[in-house]
Amino acid sequence: MARKDELKQDEREQDKVPLDEQLVTTGAASEEDAPEVPRDTWGTVRRLWAESRGQHWRFVVVIVSIVFYTGFSVAAPAYSAHVIDLLWTEIQAAFAQGRDFVVTWEHGGRDIAIYLGIWTLAFAFYSAQTFTMASFAERLNLMLRNRIARKLNRLPLAFFDSHKPGEVVSRATNDLDKMSEVLQTGLLRLLMSIGSVCGAIVMMFVYSPLLACIFLVFSALAILLTKIAAKRTLALAAERQSWVGHLTGAVEEAYSGRVIIRAFNRERASSADIHRLSQELADASRRADFLTNAAAPAIRFVGRLCQVVIAVIGCAMLVAGRLTVGTFQAFFQYIMQASEPLTQMSMTINTLQSALASVERVFDVLDEAEIEPDPAPELAAHVEQPVCGRVAFEHVRFGYDPERPLMRDVSFTAEPGRKIAIVGATGAGKTTLINLLMRFYEIDGGRITLDGVDTHAMSRAELRQNFGMVLQDAWLFEGTIAENIAYGRPDATREEIVRAAKMAHVDFFVRTMPDGYDTRVENDAENISQGQRQLLTIARVILTDPKILILDEATSSVDTRTEHAIVHAMENLMAGRTSFVIAHRLSTIVDADLILVMSAGTIIEQGTHEELLEAGGAYAALYNSQFM
Amino acid sequence: MKLLMRFLKPYKKLVAITLIVLLLDNTGTLLVPTMLANMVNTGIANGDLDHLISGGAFMLGASMLASGGALTGAYLAARLSSNVGRDIRNAIYDSSLAFSSSDFERFGTGSMITRTLNDINVIQQSIIATIQMVLPLPFLCVVGITMACLIDWQMGLLLAVVTAVVLVIAALTIANAAPIFMRLQKLIDRMNIVLRESIIGVRVIRAFTKERHEERRLDEVFSDYASSAIKVNMMFAGVDAASFFLMNITEVAVLWLGGDRVGAHAMEIASISAVLEYAMLILFYIMAAQMVALTLPRAIACLNRADEVISLTPEILDGQAASDAAADAGDTAGSDVVAAFDHATFRFSDADEDTLHDLDFVCRRGQTTAIIGSTGSGKSTVAKLLLRFHDVTDGAVRFCGRDIREMAQSELHERIAYVPQKAWLFSGTIASNLRFGNEEASETQMRHAIEVAQAEFVYEQPGRLEARVAQGGTNFSGGQRQRLSIARALMKRADLYIFDDSFSALDFKTDAALRRALKPETRHAAVLIIAQRISTILHADQIIVLKDGTVAGKGTHEELMESCEVYRAIAESQMKGGERHGA
Repeated sequence: MARKDELKQDEREQDKVPLDEQLVTTGAASEEDAPEVPRDTWGTVRRLWAESRGQHWRFVVVIVSIVFYTGFSVAAPAYSAHVIDLLWTEIQAAFAQGRDFVVTWEHGGRDIAIYLGIWTLAFAFYSAQTFTMASFAERLNLMLRNRIARKLNRLPLAFFDSHKPGEVVSRATNDLDKMSEVLQTGLLRLLMSIGSVCGAIVMMFVYSPLLACIFLVFSALAILLTKIAAKRTLALAAERQSWVGHLTGAVEEAYSGRVIIRAFNRERASSADIHRLSQELADASRRADFLTNAAAPAIRFVGRLCQVVIAVIGCAMLVAGRLTVGTFQAFFQYIMQASEPLTQMSMTINTLQSALASVERVFDVLDEAEIEPDPAPELAAHVEQPVCGRVAFEHVRFGYDPERPLMRDVSFTAEPGRKIAIVGATGAGKTTLINLLMRFYEIDGGRITLDGVDTHAMSRAELRQNFGMVLQDAWLFEGTIAENIAYGRPDATREEIVRAAKMAHVDFFVRTMPDGYDTRVENDAENISQGQRQLLTIARVILTDPKILILDEATSSVDTRTEHAIVHAMENLMAGRTSFVIAHRLSTIVDADLILVMSAGTIIEQGTHEELLEAGGAYAALYNSQFM
Repeated sequence: MKLLMRFLKPYKKLVAITLIVLLLDNTGTLLVPTMLANMVNTGIANGDLDHLISGGAFMLGASMLASGGALTGAYLAARLSSNVGRDIRNAIYDSSLAFSSSDFERFGTGSMITRTLNDINVIQQSIIATIQMVLPLPFLCVVGITMACLIDWQMGLLLAVVTAVVLVIAALTIANAAPIFMRLQKLIDRMNIVLRESIIGVRVIRAFTKERHEERRLDEVFSDYASSAIKVNMMFAGVDAASFFLMNITEVAVLWLGGDRVGAHAMEIASISAVLEYAMLILFYIMAAQMVALTLPRAIACLNRADEVISLTPEILDGQAASDAAADAGDTAGSDVVAAFDHATFRFSDADEDTLHDLDFVCRRGQTTAIIGSTGSGKSTVAKLLLRFHDVTDGAVRFCGRDIREMAQSELHERIAYVPQKAWLFSGTIASNLRFGNEEASETQMRHAIEVAQAEFVYEQPGRLEARVAQGGTNFSGGQRQRLSIARALMKRADLYIFDDSFSALDFKTDAALRRALKPETRHAAVLIIAQRISTILHADQIIVLKDGTVAGKGTHEELMESCEVYRAIAESQMKGGERHGA
């Protein structure tokens, strides 16, 4: 049982960690550095207990089983001492009479059967708790995971913008797996070993206080050795991890730039570089692996020394008649029972603590502040369908940190069917506008209206169904190209999908893929270029036929001609609908009915191209620097 | 597996020594119980204290043998596995260097990195575990049973039966668990992917109001995982219980039979414990080996993935050392044609349409040829064909009169200076990057290249030429990276300069200045510019217009404006801001 989880652990380390995170984590070897400690051990334990409501009976069964199991397993060696002594007495008696001895029911057989009975009971209780626990942790996990899934949909965008995706993923996977592992084995083992270690030591003292003390001295030595080894192991593992980081960096760089390496005939130099790092990693992993695998034999050696000493002294006591054969062997059984758990106890406690720390992190996510709920359906404001598409900002105040507002008093109106271009240098906060329009973030003051209705009074779903959005990071999910295009309208027919793709000028590309529209997007869509991914997301929006369009630099990696084609296609498609375009392209800007010039998170100028040039302000300066 | 054998071959001796050392460990471990039993037996029999001391000494000796063996074994196993790991890793990397672009893209960068690092780690750990826990197992079983036989043949027989039963249980477990484990691993991956998607795509998901849909997707993978994990847990609880029970039965059987045998003068009383201990040891080692065995399918999968890379024959190999005479003939023909596409067609092996179709044009010395077209029109593939990162499926590409398939790739690359579309710099310094183009470049040469590439910003960096470059060059802006990668290419004296969309991140002014400075540099060479911006190629001697992989027009700007509708559409879309933007 124990081994299975080590195996799982090992497998999990191999999880496909996305590249960016690999680079982040490998450098620091963060999690391995020191055992983690929970902030509030008992608080977390209490909460976990409360969370596992409905499964408490399992826990009761387990505790009762463990108590009985421990009792029987401590009693068994003592009884075996009785059995062996009995046999030995009978045998000696038989020998004294000059006859052989045969075990029969009356002569030893019954006692052996009782011994079997004791073990069978121990076995029964042992099995009861393992089977009970087999599903306990995973059920708890599943419940918490489902809650995370719900939570993800209620977290504000600010949460996602301030946490790395890998970090969040790891809450729901690694952290919870750690918990289930510990619940299934760590905790049980700890409870069982506390019982059996105490019982065993008590029994040892009953048989021989001297031998028991010797055992305790050697155990202390073994525990000390374990601590030292554990510390060194951590240090070496960190060293190895840092070389893994270096090599990963180098390999990633070389693979990404392989075209250049080849074009410049640098194969040999590059190979030598990698081999050098590879050697360093080999050295580091040799050291780390050696220590990891040497610790156990070294500790076992202390244990064997202990056995030798006890064997010699014990035999002397046997000769002196202070121990019987039976008690002597029982004493050795108790040594076996107590020594391994004793040396591992500190490690088990460490894993328990770090698992609790993991659970705390999961709770942290679950406790994050949520977006304010949509107004109740009967209270929600509605826009009259079909929507005209008039969007207005009225004295909007907003800041990602409300203490430091970016927009203090922004107003503008996007008339139905008009094209609004948003321009500004990188980091000027152009996406902020999108965040507010779509209500990814809530404003701090003023209001935003759609056809005169305050968007804040509407349900988010109703608001958003009027918008079609193409983002800078084109998002595709694991599924076929067709499924990706039809994301917003799963019921779309193949003809409609192909028509949308054609309008987005991506049909040709899709047809060059191995399975055309049924090609699966996999491996983070690395076989699809950024431009093509963007075209696919454009096709996705075309298919949903929204009333208002948001193009977030959608065309930055698509050439002018395609951009134009798309803009035209969309204009035709949604004649009389409003579009917001974040654009670098001159042609788009010049075409716009309204230009919003952004700087430091707010709108500093607005007007048409001519008006703004005329005004000779920031827009004019920007225009002249960028386009000569 | 064959691959592993190949990489183990150089370490035959190391493998042998490691195994021998580990067998010493086992022998020592197995000797201890018998020695202890002997001590007790003689102790009871004659109460000889001297015998106790010597018995203790023997036990100590055996313990030291066992622990010494285990420690040395741990060292040797670590050494072996790290060496083998390193060799496989290096082999993977070296193989990748010969790959064509299609070869490489079959795996993808992410997967290649996994294969080079993570997979190797799995293999390494499996080598260590296998050599320590699995390979010595038969020896341990045989020696354990033999020792029991030495005590008493009936005890030996009993132990043999127990061992056989445990082995059967272990084998059954492995057979049943391996597929479930594979499934579990897939479900873990799946969980990670779906979660990641729903986090990265949060804006899109909310924009389309697909929260419920994502929630269902997540719940589904979570439930799948939970039910598989519970199944695995249950199975292991079963195995756990079974071995526990088996141990009980064994113990009782040993006691009963042992009582009889001692009563029959066949063995002595303390040896009962020794036999019991053998049974425990054998059970423990078999269980441990079983756990290792369960991880092996995964390691084998990793090995196979490594093998896929190492044994892949690159799609593009150097031609049979093309006869030098022919080469010279081609070169001295006196023609000013540097590169020629002769009805070249290219199609990805997994596509049903040509990416490039019937390309036919030449690049002449002293002239600039430009290629323009929209995304997906196949522009970049043209450069890749010239560099032989892909081979044409039909027709031919010639370089200085020779079919490039007959040249050594290193020679071809020697004579082409290439500025890739993705301006990638390597970590190091600016100088170390520039030396890519010319190992022995002097500072003067570097300064010159920097000047031509309009990359004087270098001198504002701390350390100037020695300024630090981060991986990929991310500490420089896109435009700076482009200029540095142009400078890098200019370090090379080449017959052909290829600029693959290399001016896109430059503002119009820099673009123009750079092209002006480039002119005298490339006077004696042919220049191929791939671009999206009309202004960049306006003055090219020859412009090729690509549309959906075919040539839609060929000529100068003026000619094309007259005759080529595709070109005119591109030009008009870009000129809208006013003709004044042209260079």
